[in-house]
Amino acid sequence: MQPIRIEPAKAMDEVLTTQRKLAAALDTLRSMDDVDFGVTAKEEIYREDKVVVYRFKGERAPTAKVPILIVYALVNRPYMVDLQDDRSLVKNLLAKGEDVYLIDWGYPDAADRWLTLDDYINGYIKRAVDAVARHRRLRKINLLGICQGGAFSLCFAALHPARVQNLITMVTPVDFQTPDNMLSNWVQKLDIDLFVDTLGNVPADLMNLCYLMLKPVRLNQQKYIGLVDILDNKVEMENFLRMEKWIFDSPDQAGEAFRQFLKDFYQGNKLVKGGLRIGGQEVHLGNITMPVLNVFAEQDHLVPPAASRVLGEHVGTKDYTQLAFRGGHIGIYVSGRAQREVPPAIHDWLAARC
Amino acid sequence: MSEWFTSDAHKQWLAFLQQSGGPWAQFLRGGAPSTGAFEQWTALFDGAGGMPREAIERFVQGARDYVTFLQSSLGKAGTSVEGMAGWVEPLKRMFAGPAAGGAFEHPFARLWPGQMAAVNPFAAGVQLPSLDFTDLKSWLALPAFGPAREHQETQQKAALAWFEYQEQMARHNELMLKAAQRGFELFEGKLAEREQPGRQIDSLRALYDLWVDAAEEGYAEIALSQQYREVYGALVNAQMRVRSHAQREVERLSSDLGMPTRSEIDSIGERLQALRREVRALRGGDALVDEVAQLRDELAAAQRAAAAPAARAAAPAPAQRVAARRPARKPATTANKAGTARKSAPRTAAATASGGFATRIAQFADASLGGKRKARKATTTVAGAKRSGKRPGKR
Repeated sequence: MQPIRIEPAKAMDEVLTTQRKLAAALDTLRSMDDVDFGVTAKEEIYREDKVVVYRFKGERAPTAKVPILIVYALVNRPYMVDLQDDRSLVKNLLAKGEDVYLIDWGYPDAADRWLTLDDYINGYIKRAVDAVARHRRLRKINLLGICQGGAFSLCFAALHPARVQNLITMVTPVDFQTPDNMLSNWVQKLDIDLFVDTLGNVPADLMNLCYLMLKPVRLNQQKYIGLVDILDNKVEMENFLRMEKWIFDSPDQAGEAFRQFLKDFYQGNKLVKGGLRIGGQEVHLGNITMPVLNVFAEQDHLVPPAASRVLGEHVGTKDYTQLAFRGGHIGIYVSGRAQREVPPAIHDWLAARC
Repeated sequence: MSEWFTSDAHKQWLAFLQQSGGPWAQFLRGGAPSTGAFEQWTALFDGAGGMPREAIERFVQGARDYVTFLQSSLGKAGTSVEGMAGWVEPLKRMFAGPAAGGAFEHPFARLWPGQMAAVNPFAAGVQLPSLDFTDLKSWLALPAFGPAREHQETQQKAALAWFEYQEQMARHNELMLKAAQRGFELFEGKLAEREQPGRQIDSLRALYDLWVDAAEEGYAEIALSQQYREVYGALVNAQMRVRSHAQREVERLSSDLGMPTRSEIDSIGERLQALRREVRALRGGDALVDEVAQLRDELAAAQRAAAAPAARAAAPAPAQRVAARRPARKPATTANKAGTARKSAPRTAAATASGGFATRIAQFADASLGGKRKARKATTTVAGAKRSGKRPGKR
């Protein structure tokens, strides 16, 4: 039997449908405005250099006693957690009564070229935690670290355990050298010093191209062919463009922090092997004794599940919970299932501990 | 299959091809979609929802490839007189890459030049003719001499870096070709799995999606290999050396023209950042702010504890006494916990700050509140700290 059994009439139908969709793009695109994002109202509570800490405002006052501070990655913009009305981790947490704050790193430029991981972790994050704690008149707050921000949160919690009530990590790499980690494979033979000395700050375009190369056919071709299907649907097109804008709206990376991150985390894998020093102090994951919730995505192509899953073996807490989400690195924030599953899981876990 | 050629649908299809106008009719009529048609259509996207230019380009390229694929597929369907068997092989070959007459340009081929442009505008788009690198490299290794010796040597090194980059790029391309071939092998394997009844591919999109799965698997095998690790590293390192040489030339020219150079700006930035750290450390750093916060907690607890007996003494009714005790218990616990934490807190910043202890506490209480705290309140804090009477001794 032949593996391909496409009826000519059906093939013709596919062609006609494609033609109709392409033609419909004219009307759809004409009627579209610039996409917006970051739907939840927020107030600025702290600012330093380009870093701003926001507090989100829900429709009702928060009922949680301890606030959550979201520490996002440096490599993308944090509005992914509040992308649009029906795809917002923030909005769903607020609806559950949580009090949510977020660090917006801004867009580093040449003035930030010499910022180190110490400046980020013991500096900006530390002072953001101070600001939130002061705002709520508390000593300890909950940290929610995402991706690279999760790795930073682990470092912060290990260095300042007295300031973290509960720690939540989402799609966070811990073991940076699992065999299925493509990014890690690529950087092992890189001369990082030459790289940073030459580039200074690492351009966002370069970072984006690296991410696109992780799945080159799917991310550079199939995704756009799939776009044809929704060319006649304004709402879907807006969703697509919003996501597209987020993907390519990337900040440059501060050179020195990037140097240390690649050398110590990716090449040295020091977070699990030991020997990681931030600001002269050694980072021991064993110092993380507060409750930990580790959420990872089973189909994550950027941070393979195995890279996150090992966290439980290294933290010092006796209260460790792990949550595997059926989806990918981005889907964990924006998919329909994520809206239904992730915020309630975080809220319930916190409610049982605060 | 033969019914198709005599069906009403086929007749309508032919009529549609003859009558259709506009740019999109062109590909349906059997000709390759014109660049002009795609360009007109691309223009629709300019400014649409703030869609980034690179995304538009990828979309248009993807749509172009897909339309070519659809059109060619229909062409095969329209001309095949051998039935389905005659259609399968040409369809399979369409995924073998443009070099083998396929419809899809593999994204591998486009991405690396983009990466080159992102990090090295000096070299982007430059293609060297096929050269004997070994011979050229030996010429470039000759010693330089004379008054322009330094410049000549620099330029020789830059040229050598460029040749090395070309060599590494060739190695990388070889692996990308291997990945594409491996993807096609996997595609054939996946097609073979679909020979069973009920698992056959029944649409052009499903066929395309199957190829994508195979192409990604083939690519991942290569991209996760030790060999790719080594080749990729060597390529990026070579690329950085090219850029580095180019930057040095720009620096030299800028310097000759009396313009500030990147090295100078970097140097200023580095010193400025170091200065900021020093200033922060001189002001006591975050450790002292932490300590002040801890002291405030303890002070509040001590004040509440001190106030409790007085409240009890003044309270006439038993019910009121109970209410007054409750807050006194909790602060006692808080103070205890804070005391435990204090033992492990670093003290160096506090020890090096200037002034007496009470003065410093007042200063940092002010600083941590952005200077808004009134002096009276700061004094209260200090007085409270003194009342507890143990802290200075413990230090």
